[in-house]
Amino acid sequence: MDVLGNYKSVISARSADKDIQKKAQDGGIVTTLFAYALEEGIIDGAIVAGPSDEPWKPKPMVVTTKEELLAAAGTRYTISPNLQLIKEATRSYGLDRVGIVGTPCQVQATRKCQLYPIGMRDVDDKIALVLGIYCMENLSYQALEAIVEDHCNQKMESVKKMDIGKGKFTVYTERGAVSQMPLKYIHKYVQPGCHVCLDYVANLADISTGSVGSPDGWSTVFVRSNKGNAVWDGAMAAGLFETKDMADVKPGLDLVKKLATEKITKNQKHVDERKSFGLKSDGTPKALRNPYETP
Amino acid sequence: MSKVVEISPTTRHEGHSKLVLKVNDEGIIERGDWLSITPVRGIEKLAIGKTMEQVPKIASRVCGICPIAHTLAATEAMEASIGVEIPEDAKLLRYILQCANRMHSHAIHNILTLPDMYIPGTDTKINPFTKEEPVRSVALRIQRLREIGQTIGEMVGGEAIHPSNPRVGGMYMNITPRAKAKIYDLAKEARVLAQDQMEFMIAILRNYQNRDFAEVGGTEVPIPKDLGYHNQGYMATDPVYGSSSLDENPTWYPERFTEVRPWDWYMGEMEVSEADPNYPIGGTTPVGTKTWPQMQACTGVPLYDGQPVEVGPRARLVQFKNYDEKGAIGLQIARQMEYPETAYGIINALDALNTSGDVVADYIPQGDGSLGWAANEAPRGTDVHMAQVRDGRVEYFSMLVPTTWNFPTCSRALEGAPWRLAEVIMRAYDPCVSCATHMLVVDEDKRIVTQKLIQ
Ligand SMILES: Cc1cc2nc3c(=O)[nH]c(=O)nc-3n(C[C@H](O)[C@H](O)[C@H](O)COP(=O)(O)OP(=O)(O)OC[C@H]3O[C@@H](n4cnc5c(N)ncnc54)[C@H](O)[C@@H]3O)c2cc1C
Ligand code: SF4
Repeated sequence: MDVLGNYKSVISARSADKDIQKKAQDGGIVTTLFAYALEEGIIDGAIVAGPSDEPWKPKPMVVTTKEELLAAAGTRYTISPNLQLIKEATRSYGLDRVGIVGTPCQVQATRKCQLYPIGMRDVDDKIALVLGIYCMENLSYQALEAIVEDHCNQKMESVKKMDIGKGKFTVYTERGAVSQMPLKYIHKYVQPGCHVCLDYVANLADISTGSVGSPDGWSTVFVRSNKGNAVWDGAMAAGLFETKDMADVKPGLDLVKKLATEKITKNQKHVDERKSFGLKSDGTPKALRNPYETP
Repeated sequence: MSKVVEISPTTRHEGHSKLVLKVNDEGIIERGDWLSITPVRGIEKLAIGKTMEQVPKIASRVCGICPIAHTLAATEAMEASIGVEIPEDAKLLRYILQCANRMHSHAIHNILTLPDMYIPGTDTKINPFTKEEPVRSVALRIQRLREIGQTIGEMVGGEAIHPSNPRVGGMYMNITPRAKAKIYDLAKEARVLAQDQMEFMIAILRNYQNRDFAEVGGTEVPIPKDLGYHNQGYMATDPVYGSSSLDENPTWYPERFTEVRPWDWYMGEMEVSEADPNYPIGGTTPVGTKTWPQMQACTGVPLYDGQPVEVGPRARLVQFKNYDEKGAIGLQIARQMEYPETAYGIINALDALNTSGDVVADYIPQGDGSLGWAANEAPRGTDVHMAQVRDGRVEYFSMLVPTTWNFPTCSRALEGAPWRLAEVIMRAYDPCVSCATHMLVVDEDKRIVTQKLIQ
């Protein structure tokens, strides 16, 4: 299997918009593309991880303006059930063309409800733009709190940005402090469900993006589907992005591929181990369920 | 000597029913029984002990054509029992949902009706599935009306089939200004289509009234001028929406309602003595088959002032608009006349809707076991639900649905018609037999209900 999925092109890019650059996690690809798609009528609303009452706890939200998009920019390293709104967006929100951003598993869910719409009437044809963000693993909110407040010794409400990279979980505070935790300690906090995940770079998205492979402040972007291609070309023609050839940037695509391979290999092993997790009384192995196989 | 003919199952309506007909030598019905043979699902009994939030969602599943009626009537029966007044904007959303569902439901019934009707000036029956004009354009217009009705229902109700948005105390969600704008656009489009569809259907129905005969399975059957006439009364609570025991002046009167068993109403055991293998499609029940309406009917027989009554579009027009046309076709025409208000009702309610308004009551009492009822004017007529809620749980639940009211009335209306037109009369009622088959009411229950109601 190609660990990076199907794609038409891969680019290193960042938003040309200074406001977005300031608020975004990396190159501001997601925020810029949604703002463009809203402006052009490609989508009439987007489901993003918006702010909530608790610091760094995301709340899925339907947004229709650039201001709202900016308020939702940046990565929250905890679960944001964005799919919760996929049907409602077409109901009381009255959207005809829905944009959605999500981790690879959320992109999978979106595609699945397009092809096998169980209790998802009239949703499939209203999904207009699916943006994926790379994802190695995710954390519960309590886990995130433990990492920030215990390991990094910072208050959640004083944090300005969190970032995973170069083997560290890094926390930046509003007042300028920086604390780090080595990533090797993260393992016990990871959502157990992430251990069977075989997708790193949101293979099923129209366009997927992440930080890995590109320099700080820049993103690595895979343009995958025909729709993704049309949107990307439009945004480029409108001058919304600065780009660099992927071959010219460091650490480049090799690192993306390396990490993707590591994730998939490790998790495939975990999936396989589930086949013989238990023991029946006759001595044969008793399996835990495998969602990738029909029983 | 009268003979017995049985049409089983009947077709082009919702659910499972049959017609047992005693006919004279000319094939004219002397006495007819139209009865549900849909298995009883017992919603009312299994509701007991469940939460007041859950029961309306279960009741919705009684029927997928008019789930709006059961959701709203059940929810409002709970609200009537616990005594909660819902916010104005929640009421407006429910009203829009009601109109949207009626638009869809009447349109789908057009499809079921048209195959009995003729292209005016010809002896060609209408096949709604043909790709030929002029029928194709009509079918597409019907589909668009349904699509609009269901799309609007989906937006205000959360879902077109089994609406998720209504809840005890109001609605879960208000709609956004964008959704409001979209509904305006759709309703304005439907306003024109509904008018055209109404005029088309009335022309087709009038043409049928003016015909001397209809062809059924190769037989020319004379159409009597009084096809489907009956002398029963009418019952309706509102031109569009309904009424509940919370209203200042409720328009339904529980003390006028009684219910008898099928045993007391339907015919006894008989043997089929006449059959027509050419009756479309597959013929009638073979001669010699035993039939026993008293035992086989799966619905109680509700009475109002001790009599069966007609509910539905004509009943609403008779009560509120002085409509006076009798018979099966008169009922069909009344249904078409309800089209325009489905679109105007939506537009007017939208005008009044505040998309920032609260849609859930601030305080939702949990109930002290008081009896409440709510009537919803479903597409097919008055749908009354009664409930007693205590500490958030349902202690008693009963559904008196439109087709249950119409079964005995329609049975009376069959008299005097050629038996081959019995289904045309039955279809005029737009039967929803799943709706009708909810639970048998036994005598003791009935007594308890009526006593509690009168207190
Ligand atoms: C749990 C998690 C793990 C990640 N792991 C990696 C990784 O291993 N390698 C890598 O290169 N990149 C990873 N990313 C992606 C990266 O952090 C950025 O989200 C991505 O580069 C997009 O940045 P941007 O500047 O283009 O987007 P921005 O313009 O900042 O927009 C980001 C968008 O993502 C949405 N979002 C934020 N948090 C979540 C969430 N928890 N769930 C769903 N949507 C959310 C926001 O609402 C916003 O719309 C991860 C992201 C998450 C949420
Ligand atoms: S690792 Fe996989 S399952 Fe876990 S959040 Fe990321 S995409 Fe979803």
